Amino acid sequence: MKSQKWLPYLLVLPTLLYLGVFFAYPMVSALQLAVRADVSYLPLRVEPNVAAARGDVLAMQTVVEILDRVRGEELLPNGRTRPIFWFLVRGESVSGEVVTGWANQQNLFVESRTESTQARVISGESASEWTLQHINTMFNDFRFRSAIWNTFLMIVVILPIQFVLAIIMALLLQAQPRGTTLFLYVYAIPLGISDLAAGLVWYALFTQRGFINSALVGLGIIDTPFIFIAAGREGWIFLAIVLAEIWRATSIVMVIVVSGLQAIPREYIEAGEVFGASVWQRIWTIVLPLLRPSLQVALILRTILAFQVFAVVIAISGGEVFTVLANETYRWYDRGDWGYNNPNVAAAYSGLIMLISLGISFFYLRAVRTQEEVAKA
Amino acid sequence: MNALKRRDLPEEQRRALRRQLLRRSGVYVAAIVLCLWILIPIWLIATMAFSTPADVRAFPKPFFPNPISTDTITFFLNAEGILSSTANSIIVAMLTFILSTIVATPAGYAISRFVFRGRDAIRLGILSVRAFPIVILAVPLAITFINLGIYDNVFSLALLHTALVLPTSVLVIASVFASVPYELEEAAQVFGCTPFEAFFRVVIPLTLPGIAAAGVFAFVTSWNEVFAAVLLTLTNRTLPAQILFSLNKASDPFKFAGGFFMLVPSLIFIFFIRRYLFNMWGQISK
Repeated sequence: MKSQKWLPYLLVLPTLLYLGVFFAYPMVSALQLAVRADVSYLPLRVEPNVAAARGDVLAMQTVVEILDRVRGEELLPNGRTRPIFWFLVRGESVSGEVVTGWANQQNLFVESRTESTQARVISGESASEWTLQHINTMFNDFRFRSAIWNTFLMIVVILPIQFVLAIIMALLLQAQPRGTTLFLYVYAIPLGISDLAAGLVWYALFTQRGFINSALVGLGIIDTPFIFIAAGREGWIFLAIVLAEIWRATSIVMVIVVSGLQAIPREYIEAGEVFGASVWQRIWTIVLPLLRPSLQVALILRTILAFQVFAVVIAISGGEVFTVLANETYRWYDRGDWGYNNPNVAAAYSGLIMLISLGISFFYLRAVRTQEEVAKA
Repeated sequence: MNALKRRDLPEEQRRALRRQLLRRSGVYVAAIVLCLWILIPIWLIATMAFSTPADVRAFPKPFFPNPISTDTITFFLNAEGILSSTANSIIVAMLTFILSTIVATPAGYAISRFVFRGRDAIRLGILSVRAFPIVILAVPLAITFINLGIYDNVFSLALLHTALVLPTSVLVIASVFASVPYELEEAAQVFGCTPFEAFFRVVIPLTLPGIAAAGVFAFVTSWNEVFAAVLLTLTNRTLPAQILFSLNKASDPFKFAGGFFMLVPSLIFIFFIRRYLFNMWGQISK
């Protein structure tokens, strides 16, 4: 270890700057997008002149009465002027009072500039204000409940199975059968498989003319293929997604558990053996408690990744019949034919995913710490 | 050892041996079953990719490619946008590889080699970035990129992918540097190297494979990433984004060949970096 004054800071600076620009800033701006809205208001002038002081403020689409009109002149950027109509209008302001003031033809829809007695406010100055409208849109969306329910159900079903499988894999590798390196490689393969590829693989199994139906019909168990993936068969779709996720994402838990196991001194386990503990007793009372920090990290990582599951769902179900939170984020953002092209609501979904993820990480960390504190006391 | 026949042993020891043998074969059976659980789906999708399109559409499906044919793969590769999006994916993944290595290597070195105020806080800060769903940040970044005029661009996608892999890269590279004793660097300096020479002639050659492994991991992560890719690109799609985009009008041969095509690099890359996997994820739990 060396000690130097400024060199280490210089070396970590690029990483910190990078994470600041591409992580911290977008995170803040996601939350901001979710609770801010761009609105336009038309401030009326006290005199028919752009330089005049601003008075009361009208909302867009307000219908106003024209009381008077004058022809003024507008200065263009190139220094010339052109004629412009100013109207003295009366209408209901944002605060609900009837107000009068001047506005020009650019901000009003007027049928005849010289004769109409009514006009409608069509433009003004844009401003950004706090709003709950995007969050309300999200909560009131008809897919919201099923998205959140499915996401949580998925996590609750997948994670325990994944952890049991990963611990079994790690213990098998720990037993060091011949060919351990090969087994390790095979167990680690899914680490590099994307959720889209995994979704397509399991689609090949579950589709109507897929491998599961091929096997069932081939073995004579059923006569005609069973349709797993269809509207009203959410249970089967859920099963396919759960299997695909267990297949794909158990490896990462396995790798973390294996490195946790390697950190446990062999003497502890041997001591258990000497005192006559059976295999199960050694696993339950020595290995698992010592693995807790690794399991905690794996749990946090897997939960966060599970909230981002997206392509598996689209590859297997098409994203319409069955949905999850990340899929809704995409749907609301998407500018294509099926999307809603509303980045604000999409940001509300991102913010929700972020808050839930952080809340759960915090909960896991607290849950374990309090147990340790209890143990110390 | 062999001279001592099993039946010569006392009953109690014979039972213990039998139990050990049973346990040993139990380990093998379980290990192989779990291997099959992972390999069979890969085998099946590979079967589809190497069958004729007619066999892919057939029912019941063949469980072995017969005859072996590259027609399905060729059909997939010739589909609209696949080759160009594959090229885009490779560019984005290469950029992510390069950018993350350049940014993360100095930070990894600093964290593993120097004692400085705030070291643990910085390490923890970088680590805790992993507790955020980074991909989800694609939504605000897309808006920012549109405003900056760099939307729908492979470079801007690579910027996000680098943010995605950076925390892992820094920690992995730190653990790779930590595995080279500082004494080696000192020895080089004793023999007349400047600190920079010592770093480039002694430390870098020893750590290059590990740093490359971190880079390969960055490459695979970028190659696989879908969500940010569909949000941040429109015409310059990457391969996963292109496949996802075409899914609702795609035929089964396209989907199966696409699934297989996306899966192949991961088989190869994981093979090359398998030794470093524990560096990669083991570090995190410490």
